[in-house]
Amino acid sequence: MSTLTTPRPDQAATPGPAPLSGQDSPVSPTAASTRSTAPPALRRTVATAGSWLWKSAAIILFLALWEIGPTYLASASTRVFLPPLHEVLTAGADLIASGQLQTHIAASLTRSGAGFSIAVVLGISLGLVIAWYRPLHSFLNPLLELFRNTAALALLPVFTLLLGIGEESKITIVAFAAFFPVLLNTIAGVRTVDPLLVRAARSLGLGSLSLFWKVILPSAVPTIFTGIRMAGTSAILVLIAAEMVGAKAGLGYLITNAQSSFLIPQMYAGILTVSLLGLLVNILLVAAEKHFSRWRTSINA
Amino acid sequence: MNAKISLRHVRQEFAVRPAKGRQSIDSSPLVVLDDFNLDVRQGEFLTIVGPSGSGKTTLLDLLAGLTRPASGQVLVDGREVTGPGHDRAVVFQQYALFPWRTASTNVSIGLEGSGLNRRQRADKAREYLGLVGLSGFADRYPHELSGGMKQRVAIARSLAYEPDILLMDEPFAALDAQTREQLQDELRRIWTETGKTIVFITHGIDEAVYLGQRVAVLSSRPGRLKAIVDVDLGERDNVEDIRSTAQFADHRHKVWTLLRDEVQAAQAAGHRKVLPDGTAPDEAPAPQPTTAQRSAA
Ligand SMILES: Nc1ncnc2c1ncn2[C@@H]1O[C@H](COP(=O)(O)OP(=O)(O)O)[C@@H](O)[C@H]1O
Ligand SMILES: [Mg+2]
Repeated sequence: MSTLTTPRPDQAATPGPAPLSGQDSPVSPTAASTRSTAPPALRRTVATAGSWLWKSAAIILFLALWEIGPTYLASASTRVFLPPLHEVLTAGADLIASGQLQTHIAASLTRSGAGFSIAVVLGISLGLVIAWYRPLHSFLNPLLELFRNTAALALLPVFTLLLGIGEESKITIVAFAAFFPVLLNTIAGVRTVDPLLVRAARSLGLGSLSLFWKVILPSAVPTIFTGIRMAGTSAILVLIAAEMVGAKAGLGYLITNAQSSFLIPQMYAGILTVSLLGLLVNILLVAAEKHFSRWRTSINA
Repeated sequence: MNAKISLRHVRQEFAVRPAKGRQSIDSSPLVVLDDFNLDVRQGEFLTIVGPSGSGKTTLLDLLAGLTRPASGQVLVDGREVTGPGHDRAVVFQQYALFPWRTASTNVSIGLEGSGLNRRQRADKAREYLGLVGLSGFADRYPHELSGGMKQRVAIARSLAYEPDILLMDEPFAALDAQTREQLQDELRRIWTETGKTIVFITHGIDEAVYLGQRVAVLSSRPGRLKAIVDVDLGERDNVEDIRSTAQFADHRHKVWTLLRDEVQAAQAAGHRKVLPDGTAPDEAPAPQPTTAQRSAA
């Protein structure tokens, strides 16, 4: 039963807070970056460059294949539908020069931005309410599960019938698709708050409202941001698809329009833009998610 | 007798759902504390030991006002405890720091809404971090601190709003032996300096004897006060290693003997923790052990 095994006479003789020794001793706040000398630093730079090269190798290879493949490997008829990279880039440059690409990007970003913002605001606020009131959660949960598992695009005809083919229906479908990841992650984030922290907060005299703002919400933030990141990705995916079906501007429209006008390099330029845009949005959201989850490193450590 | 804390005929019970595959005839609640009486003096350092599952944490929750007793009274300064209050502070075994807050803002969270501005709160936090030996770590996040340092922050947090009573639930159990002894000495120093009333739960007999002026020994469930051992180790300041003295060994043995009987009783009764789903599959039928233990105690 005893927890003490070795008597330590030296300890008893030193009261006071000063001696922070043994395992309890932290890395001194001042002794941080004083040890890195030149050769290891150089080696590290080379290593980083090498790993970057290795990581981009697949993309470079892919682009090279895209450039060379159609010219030397494909038959003449295939080549028409699969132009080499430089033709696509030229078409893209022309689109930029004429200002068309910017217009389409702006149209798409406005719609997805609007739908995404609506989804985030509604998703977080409704999620907080639903998670806070347990009976409401058990009441709504089956319905939410049903909606979540309904592909947003399957509802596109419904939105088009109700709201027409204008901006409203596109913004609505984006909002719909982005709403559920935010909502469900908000609910999950609130519900998985560590009960010990709630006990601690209550013992510190926090009332219900402070408890919510100071403990439950902050501890849910990382999970909420995971939902926001997922929402951002699906906002773009769903919008492009919606624009392909019925629109007069936007990247989805650019792609289908170029296809039906037989401007094949333009079509690929549109596709490439969509990929880059999606990548950019994802990088930004992942960075935001990381930023707001910094303190979570403790759990992995 | 004017006690700082009084427990009068306190009973606490929890609803237990019947285990799967068992008939739910005996839907009787799990009695964790029964007719529990205890007085703690103003400024006293009281340690509590008891077998695992004997209701120590349950008792502390009642004192903290996190739960209310099924019956009986919990009094602080003669007034009934109806909820958490700034006259009491709790230190938990698992530190329970808010990981998104720095050491400083963790310490000052109890001061928010008390009329102090941000600056004054930061000053207070610095003062109390200094008291626990963590000056210079105000801006660290919990994940940047060792276990011992986290518990120091938690102690600073509980002291910062200047409660009269410190309630500690196995606060040093998760620490390595050296850090634990260090913190024990610092806690004694803080107690001497601040004159707080401390109720300290532990499962370490040495810790209980080393820290406490009195050691309360709980019986196995349902928890009652089995005995109180007064600790008198004589003059401490001149003794190099109090733990190796004959008095210490005597007290240690006394508590150990009291506790051993209860641990055996707990094992004989097949006491197990209630599972997270609320069932207690190994629980013996409720009525018999109660009478058996009454005679044992
Ligand atoms: N909220 C609760 N619901 C049901 N049973 C509980 C609850 N809290 C504690 N218990 C049970 O009460 C008994 C005493 O628990 P506890 O006070 O944590 O013991 P100790 O801290 O002495 O180990 C245990 O069997 C535990 O499973
Ligand atoms: Mg316990």
